[in-house]
Amino acid sequence: MTATADAAPAQQTASLATVGLTKRFGGVTAVDGASVTFHHGKVNALIGPNGSGKTTFFNCVTGMIKPDEGTVSYRGADITGKAPHRIARAGVGRSFQLCRVFPRMTVMENMLVAVRSTSLRRQLASARDAEELDRARGLLARVGIEHLEHSLARDISYGQQKLLELAGVLMADPETIMLDEPAGGVNPALIDRIANLVRSLNAEGKTFIVVEHNMELVMGLSDHVVVFDRGRPICEGTPTVVQSDPRVLEAYLGI
Amino acid sequence: MPSASDTVSTTDRRSRGSVALKAVGLLVLAAAVLSFPSVAANPFILSVGVVIMSYAVLATSWNFVGGFTGYISLGHAAYSGLGGYATGLLVIHTGVNPWLGMLLAGLAVAVLAVPIGIASLRVRGASFVIVSIALVLILLLVFQSWGSFTGGSNGLRVPRPFGPEVLRPEQHERFFYLHAALLAVALLTWWLIDRSRFGMGLKAIREDEDKAQALGVPTFTYKLIAFVVSAFFTALGGGLYALWFGFLDPIFQFSILVGSYMVLMSLLGGIRSLFGPFLGAVIVGYAVEYFKNQYGDTQFHLVAMGLLLGLVVLFMPDGIIPAATNLVDRFRPQKTSIREVTQAELAEQRRTAGPEAAQADQQARTDDGTDIPTSDSTVTEGARS
Repeated sequence: MTATADAAPAQQTASLATVGLTKRFGGVTAVDGASVTFHHGKVNALIGPNGSGKTTFFNCVTGMIKPDEGTVSYRGADITGKAPHRIARAGVGRSFQLCRVFPRMTVMENMLVAVRSTSLRRQLASARDAEELDRARGLLARVGIEHLEHSLARDISYGQQKLLELAGVLMADPETIMLDEPAGGVNPALIDRIANLVRSLNAEGKTFIVVEHNMELVMGLSDHVVVFDRGRPICEGTPTVVQSDPRVLEAYLGI
Repeated sequence: MPSASDTVSTTDRRSRGSVALKAVGLLVLAAAVLSFPSVAANPFILSVGVVIMSYAVLATSWNFVGGFTGYISLGHAAYSGLGGYATGLLVIHTGVNPWLGMLLAGLAVAVLAVPIGIASLRVRGASFVIVSIALVLILLLVFQSWGSFTGGSNGLRVPRPFGPEVLRPEQHERFFYLHAALLAVALLTWWLIDRSRFGMGLKAIREDEDKAQALGVPTFTYKLIAFVVSAFFTALGGGLYALWFGFLDPIFQFSILVGSYMVLMSLLGGIRSLFGPFLGAVIVGYAVEYFKNQYGDTQFHLVAMGLLLGLVVLFMPDGIIPAATNLVDRFRPQKTSIREVTQAELAEQRRTAGPEAAQADQQARTDDGTDIPTSDSTVTEGARS
């Protein structure tokens, strides 16, 4: 890495950051002392070969599993080991690998699940207030599935479910959005559509952290790439820097 | 999009129509329930009606947990039993007004449900079912063995709230209306939760708990609240039954069978429907009484119930109400869907609509400012998928 590439991230504001994050499953150390900083307002990508610990890292950061060692912070505040719903309400939304929606709820009901405030009065009020319905319709229109509002989520196509999941995450109005393999199992046209959505949302100020296998997408989309191998980052920087790093080639190609 | 305004108006019309239909249905149901005591042929039939209403209260109360969160508790007899015993013991030992005693018993059970819920809601699926059964068995042993306080296996005689001058048929009639009133309160509470944000969170837990939590739903707190509300209403149901029946025996109060009935009734009617457990209670409650009456003390009614449960799970996993609703929907005009308009049809519509429409479409998109996909891309997506 060049000196300029090292200096540039230091001036960035940290979004999510981990220090020495470690998670073991029995004898296997899935995440091994990973210290990673993602940048606020940028599209960050986390890549790495299969089994390099990306998803475990992702789950530790979002609170789905508790790390054994190390800390996770978000915008300077410690969120290590906090419950997923607290991390969500701190402003970090996430999608799931292989896409998860609420199958026997309608598309609109899927949109209305996200919790922005747990004030008692708000929670006991009707879920279908006009303002929320308007927001939901706006976001469904934005991802292009507003015509499916009344369909059950299980009846729409996989690609549409992916779009619904993203729209549902946006309902919580997160400032940071973590996507676990957004391009997994979808056709090229839809990948373009998702990439365009990420770009336009990023232009509006949303931070993205994307775990992805699709190199073309990652390189075309990201400002900052972190490469994982054997549970820790081996290299980070702009897509161009990462692509030419010998350690990345070694990890991916074994040469 | 050309069909957008049509879609909205059909939806509105349909929802207005269904509101009117629901109001009529509700009035008919209320009239049927309220007139039952006057049309009941004899006191025995009336007492069967009270039993069915009691089951309806219990099943509806069970459905606060089962229906909303999908956590299937086979041990809800613990809360009806505790509610019954607490009511009886309060009346006997403190001489408190029986109705106040019943309410206090409900509150006490609700408080007790907090630690029980904290312990048992940590596990999901089959493990939760086992934990829920364990509690009933423990309570059965305790209430059988602690004879000096609970009356043990000899049972507990609960003083009747109405004096001896109120004759038996009159008793049945009053308790029928009391149960109906409690059922109405439970149904109203269920409906209020169902339409609330809280309810939306609970239903999301039923569908995918981790996903719900990732969207900010405090899943554990929500489950616990639903659990406590459920235990409260179940205990009130148990207390009211105790005041009516006047006698409690641990073997019937803390029985897996009573808990299973609540589950069977709810599944049969439909756990996602407000009136599902009520409908299930009417069918199962009537069937149980019928079989008991026809075949006496044999276990035949259990075989019949087992068969019924098997049939429901096999052929109507969502219950009667959703199955019936689907059937009715099939004969209604079909819902508007993107698949009804093919790309070719849309192109044809565009051609006939002429350039003004296209311009208006373009204008709408520009006004919005966001990158709403054009109709073309939507249809392309629909065709591809």
